[in-house]
Amino acid sequence: MASPAGCNVLALIFVCVCFCLTDAVQKKKDDILGERVQQLIEWNNKKSVIRLNGEKFRHYVREVPRNYSVIVMLTALQPQRSCSVCKQAHEEYTVLANSWRYSQGFSNKLFFAMVDYDEGADVFGSLKLSTAPVFMHFPPKGKPKKADTMDIHRVGFQAEQIARWVGERTDIQIRIFRPPNYSGTLALALLFSLVGGLLYLKRNNLEFLYNRNFWGIGALAVIFAMTSGQMWNHIRGPPVMHKNPNTGQINYIHGSSQGQFVVETYIIMLLNAAIVGGFVLMSEAHVLKGDPGKKRVIALIGLACVAIFFSLLLSIFRSKYHGYPYSFLIK
Amino acid sequence: MAEAGVKTEIRSAVWKPGGLKSLLSFSILFLAWLVGFSSRLFAVIRFESIIHEFDPWFNYRATHYMVNNGFYNFLNWFDDRAWYPLGRIVGGTVYPGLMVTSGSIYWILDLLNIPIHIREVCVFLAPLFSGMTALAVYFFTTEIWSAGAGLFAACFIAIVPGYISRSVAGSYDNEGIAIFALMFTYFLWIKSVKTGSLFWAICTALSYFYMVSAWGGYVFIINLIPLHVFVLLIMGRYSRRIYVAYNAFFIVGLILSMQVPFVGFNPISTSEHMASAGVFALLNAYGALKYIQSFLTKAEFKYFFIIAALGAAGFIFVAVVGLTWAGYIHPWSGRFYSLWDTGYAKIHIPIIASVSEHQPTTWVSFFFDLHILVCAFPAGVWYCVKEVNDERVFVILYAIFASYFAGVMVRLMLTLTPIVCVLAAVAFSKTFEIYLKDDSLKANNKDSEEDEPENKNDNKLYDKVGKPKKDKKEEKPKNQEAIGMNIKSIVVIALLLMLMLFAVHCTWVTSSAYSSPSIVLASYNHDGSRTILDDFREAYYWLRQNTHDKARVMSWWDYGYQIAGMGNRTTLVDNNTWNNSHIALESDYFTPQGEFRVDSAGSSTLLNCLMYKLSYYRFGELQLDFRSPPGFDRTRGVEIGNKNFELTHLEEAYTTEHWLVRIYKVKDLENRNTIIKPTIPVKRTKLRSSPSKKSAKKRPGVIKNKPKIIKGKKPTKTTSKK
Repeated sequence: MASPAGCNVLALIFVCVCFCLTDAVQKKKDDILGERVQQLIEWNNKKSVIRLNGEKFRHYVREVPRNYSVIVMLTALQPQRSCSVCKQAHEEYTVLANSWRYSQGFSNKLFFAMVDYDEGADVFGSLKLSTAPVFMHFPPKGKPKKADTMDIHRVGFQAEQIARWVGERTDIQIRIFRPPNYSGTLALALLFSLVGGLLYLKRNNLEFLYNRNFWGIGALAVIFAMTSGQMWNHIRGPPVMHKNPNTGQINYIHGSSQGQFVVETYIIMLLNAAIVGGFVLMSEAHVLKGDPGKKRVIALIGLACVAIFFSLLLSIFRSKYHGYPYSFLIK
Repeated sequence: MAEAGVKTEIRSAVWKPGGLKSLLSFSILFLAWLVGFSSRLFAVIRFESIIHEFDPWFNYRATHYMVNNGFYNFLNWFDDRAWYPLGRIVGGTVYPGLMVTSGSIYWILDLLNIPIHIREVCVFLAPLFSGMTALAVYFFTTEIWSAGAGLFAACFIAIVPGYISRSVAGSYDNEGIAIFALMFTYFLWIKSVKTGSLFWAICTALSYFYMVSAWGGYVFIINLIPLHVFVLLIMGRYSRRIYVAYNAFFIVGLILSMQVPFVGFNPISTSEHMASAGVFALLNAYGALKYIQSFLTKAEFKYFFIIAALGAAGFIFVAVVGLTWAGYIHPWSGRFYSLWDTGYAKIHIPIIASVSEHQPTTWVSFFFDLHILVCAFPAGVWYCVKEVNDERVFVILYAIFASYFAGVMVRLMLTLTPIVCVLAAVAFSKTFEIYLKDDSLKANNKDSEEDEPENKNDNKLYDKVGKPKKDKKEEKPKNQEAIGMNIKSIVVIALLLMLMLFAVHCTWVTSSAYSSPSIVLASYNHDGSRTILDDFREAYYWLRQNTHDKARVMSWWDYGYQIAGMGNRTTLVDNNTWNNSHIALESDYFTPQGEFRVDSAGSSTLLNCLMYKLSYYRFGELQLDFRSPPGFDRTRGVEIGNKNFELTHLEEAYTTEHWLVRIYKVKDLENRNTIIKPTIPVKRTKLRSSPSKKSAKKRPGVIKNKPKIIKGKKPTKTTSKK
């Protein structure tokens, strides 16, 4: 489908055929190219990381002609893929893409794009990829070589590392600008001002600093949080609970010993606290002044706390750790 | 008549409070040692006396070398079988405490004319030291609470799975002796804080030196003790005792720790040790101020204080920044830093974050490793806070920080375990003290409250259901005052049942989870009979006998130490994480769903990769039984996905009985390239660059799912490639 102008020239002047043909093709190419670049810039203005599906990927990244480099992150961000690395990689990648978009050297020579496995599984297939995330560079000319795939196992995927790699592949140096993260500082400042304010308000009555219950509860809180796996939650970010899509049943307890839900850890924390409470009650019962009847009741309540909540804990453990043979009171 | 007289004499001797007490303590500690020792022997009884896992094989090889060649040769040993092609200077890259310990045991036995192979010493070292740990924990708990609690703690630590996981017979690793050193150092520290004597402080430093020579975890001590001193200062509990104890410990400990070659100048140059130096300066400044205060007026002192404080703070700040900038002090090392900033490791050192023992801990692992202790020990913390004194501050700090670290990294459960035992013992002992006490007999109170919980203790260790009843019989006839004997017995029985459950749990966990040597595998048939799969040693032995001494083996990195230890051949990569790229380059093959599958739904990368091909070469021709298709992988329960392929550059050299290990030889390159369509076009270059022979291994059974062994034979010329 040569353009009409091209046809005319072809018909009229035989000598010019060669030249004109190339000219026409060139022009057509320019058109397509211009169109593409235009489209990409438009997307880029909306979002610094262009999201591609399989079709767009082929059209904008694989097909010639191109005069721009594309860095593509192939990833799997859907929660059901449970790829926590992908999430972190995506954050770092976004930092990089934003740094490029707002940098002074910004041009249409380089674009940052991403393909999600659930939107373009065929892309993964055609690139013979079986892992995620993968960073690939598609040069303007030719096919990507081996070095055009970033080795995240060795260098990691910090934005600075990606930028260095991009610099090596495309000769475009990007200076990483991280939006400073104030949330941590802010929370800390808030906490300090809160504590400071409290101390100031109670400056005439600093007795509570010598209150052992206060410090004891603080120490126990840290220990309960740790032994119930809050740190695991913090690092792995598990769901709060699980709803079975077929039956609509809600699971609070993760079925295997390898994982846990947020709600589950709170339950465990409460159970642990109740057991400790039971122990303390049992020893308090002895110290308590008063009639023996009250003492007995408190001692029994303490014992009940320990026994019942411990067997509950054991039965939860049993349900998670398949093949565990022992139980106490409750199956 | 005379007999009766002797009898009463013995009786009175036994019933003398001191005598009975020490007899009981002694026998209970002895039993705890014995039980701890025997419950660690599952693997030895089931299989044989053999070194487990992977790292212990290196330790064993090093020990063996030391025993044969002497200590100084060991320090200068250049091991050319590790970290090929670089080699490894062992003396400077290893904590020698473990080797020296087993070496000296061996030497002493030898001196006594007891012939024993060094391997036996290595295999039984960890169980032996678990008994020493029980003793150290007993002393520690006795110092901070009471002797009764100490006995409880000794019994707990003897059988708790969190500690057994690292100290079964055959797991010959640093941690086995380090936990003893850790608890003993802490005991001596508590002792020196209590007495303020120079003697105990120097002992602390010596014990600390042993710890430094044994395990990298000594950093925990050198941060916790300064923290203790610091907190005591803040609480206004400064005293001469603390001043003497800390200064003596710090100076002697610092100098001694620098004598370990692997540690070298780290104690004065890395930030991990800076806290101790800072507290040292602070403590001395505080002491100096106290002294000056004694002959200045209040106004003068205030002025002096402000000037001195500002000056000192400014000087320290400038010095630290300047030294860091000049490169004399190093920033926090990655592994340590990852403890504080949990996001750090993921981004900076993916390889460290990916190791399974560096993962955060779920509550299930806490419960699995500590059972009832994890529920009870916060109660112990509570009692310590309520009745705080100098040494209990230490225990509280230890509990809080150790539980934080254990939450961040599964591996650090090991440092949490002793303190959990101590505090749970405090909780139980306090409860038993109340509920076993005989209300009516005020006079004999002291004795009975001490020894009855102890009785409980070893009953529990034997987990004989019958025994506890004895105690309850004793209590029944007593009259009831405050709480009443009935309720007291109920409480005691219920708690005893739980403790029994704990003992049973410990045994079960030890037997089922922590006693697999992972070099010999066992599989169970339908009828319950057991098959031993000893393919690894078969293969290593084959390597040793049939390959050239200079041969190079390429294998999955876990197996590096074992091949070096048993096969006596050089490997390309082994278990040391010293050079990240070595390991990281051995990439992983997963399907997009993130699972590892070998059947036809597996990723095509996997099905065509070298590892797969080596593992399953000609496996498709094998039909194991009539019900399953040919090429059926029993471990994974699937039929393999890619059955027909040929190997271009490798030829099969040896396959073990159960096809667990396969050894391949790399063929010499052909003189001319044959123009066949290569079946594995992409991999060709890779093969050529790999040394020579390979063995891969499939169906790794219990061991995760990644193993493979590749070995390279190196006739002189093939050297070219690397």
